[in-house]
Amino acid sequence: MQLYINEHIKYIKSLDKKQQDYEYWLTEHLRLNGIYWGLTALCCLDASDVFDRDEVIEFVKSCWDSETGGFSAYKDHDAHLVTTLSALQILATYDALHELSDTEVDACVEFIKGNQLADGSFQGDRFGEVDTRFSYTALSSLSILGRLTPEVVDPAVEFIKRCYNFDGGFGLCPGAESHAAQAFTCVGALAIVNRLSDLTEEQITTIACWLCERQVPEGGLNGRPNKLPDVCYSWWVLSTLAIIDRLDWVDHGELRKFILKSQDPKEGGISDRPDNEVDVFHTLFGLAGLSLMGFDGLIPLDPVYCMPLSVTTKFRKYPYI
Amino acid sequence: MHGIKRRNLTQEALVQKRSQAQQQIHRYRSQTAKVLSLKGAKVYSIDALKETTILLDLNPEFNAVWNYRRDIIKGIRDELSEDFWHDELSFTMVQLKSFPKVYWIWNHRVWCLNNCQGNALKLWKYELGIVGKILSMDPRNFHGWHYRRIVVNKLEALSRISMNKDEFNYTTKIINENISNFSAWHQRCQLIPKMLKHGEITNFPEFVQKETDYIINAMFTDADDQSVWTYVHWFIKDECIVNNIPTQEYISMLLKFEENITMINEDEIDFSGKENIWCLKTLVSIESIQIKNLGLPIESHIKDYLNKLMDLDPLRRKKYVHMLNNA
Repeated sequence: MQLYINEHIKYIKSLDKKQQDYEYWLTEHLRLNGIYWGLTALCCLDASDVFDRDEVIEFVKSCWDSETGGFSAYKDHDAHLVTTLSALQILATYDALHELSDTEVDACVEFIKGNQLADGSFQGDRFGEVDTRFSYTALSSLSILGRLTPEVVDPAVEFIKRCYNFDGGFGLCPGAESHAAQAFTCVGALAIVNRLSDLTEEQITTIACWLCERQVPEGGLNGRPNKLPDVCYSWWVLSTLAIIDRLDWVDHGELRKFILKSQDPKEGGISDRPDNEVDVFHTLFGLAGLSLMGFDGLIPLDPVYCMPLSVTTKFRKYPYI
Repeated sequence: MHGIKRRNLTQEALVQKRSQAQQQIHRYRSQTAKVLSLKGAKVYSIDALKETTILLDLNPEFNAVWNYRRDIIKGIRDELSEDFWHDELSFTMVQLKSFPKVYWIWNHRVWCLNNCQGNALKLWKYELGIVGKILSMDPRNFHGWHYRRIVVNKLEALSRISMNKDEFNYTTKIINENISNFSAWHQRCQLIPKMLKHGEITNFPEFVQKETDYIINAMFTDADDQSVWTYVHWFIKDECIVNNIPTQEYISMLLKFEENITMINEDEIDFSGKENIWCLKTLVSIESIQIKNLGLPIESHIKDYLNKLMDLDPLRRKKYVHMLNNA
């Protein structure tokens, strides 16, 4: 089965032309994330010029919340760590971080650091939800800005390590059940701050064993034992395996087939599993998974940042010398 | 979007859908504009709160509106009665029934419970009943299990009484209903070390024996289910078990597992002509403990098992190759 490259580009391009659909308005709270997903998918398809760069940058700047220093998903919504990362990812991809003034960058760094709690964890915003997803978004954001410090990193790493489970997975907080998305956020965060060495060789093997058990007979990957496969885990699981250098511990041929079967060959886009409704989130993570497996014609992505490698090689590597 | 079947709409159906959407869009956008303008003006009043209710009913994923709602409540909390908090909890309950996987609703509920008036212990006890109901509707709900741990921690902090035993019994009840519920097995791994630490297991070796029998029974119930096998791996390796029973009993426990797993595997060969993947994987782990950790003088079958697994479990072939190279 083939990859419908042109259809996917057309699909992503059409996303901002759906104002006649109710769903378009209902998903405004995901707009900035959506642009990051769409742009990264386009980069992967070697079509990064499809969006109007200036327009997107203007939009990102309109999401800046001067009161908190973070970015919201849409103008007049509230800043959050997740949307702040999306904003920085988009700007970095367009090589446009300089669009932020020094004071804005400082305020943004303060916003991120201000959400770190005493135990090293991060809350998503001032209302206190803690999740290792936010550890990742915080560390990735600071890394993109080149502003990681030991005061932030060391407690963050300690917290992440407490989320490791006996089965080789990670939970959203200490004691929580393992989930594949959390494997990515925890291992990815450790990779960003150059602390993978905090994991023992035995832990790395156990992590890889748990991750490769996510592949089910249909070829796709699930997020937890006894759950249905879902295309987005092609990214969460594969990227983590790539980071710990065990990318081939799942069967690429079968996974590739599963992702390709989840495409909409007519209108473009990829869904969570075959014959379902497509969306831009699964389109990115399907393509990203294929790219990690070296699919012909796709641009390589960085498994740690989920951004084009050509962009992330420019990031300062922590610890800064 | 998760789990929604793709519909290929005809041009005609699309036109119809869009004309119906027009009204919805108009209503949604004007309500959004109204609420965001009140929010921008920092208006904190009962009327503004009602406007957020209307909007959240239309879109419970609108996190900025949940935030604004909390700011309103904080702003007018002196005017609020106990009834208000009751209604607020009911509001999130109705929302959770329709959208059990929306993080923002769960967050709002926790925030309400942490901030509301009334007898906290009573409120959180009631909450334990609520989360029990939610988990009975979807016993693997990730949010539900997370929420249950939050509720239990809160109750333990308020009452200063450990709930480890009750929660352990709860996992038994859930597993007895469906042994494939890994969320419950996971919770068991969290609880046993805590019970041990707090002296809540009087005779630990006896407890381990009972648990061994319980696991073996589960393995016989469904030998293809990875939940119980994952739990076995924890049980035979974790220091909480290993360091707290006499070595001789540990050796006997491993032997008992080995004998039963071999039996299950033979049943499977009789039944399907193939060996059971999870039996072989677990036998690899048991032998590895016996030889490497305990130094027992037994003949190793690990390479043999791994070679078989390469054929039986081709999706994970590379893993077995790696293990063989390191065996």
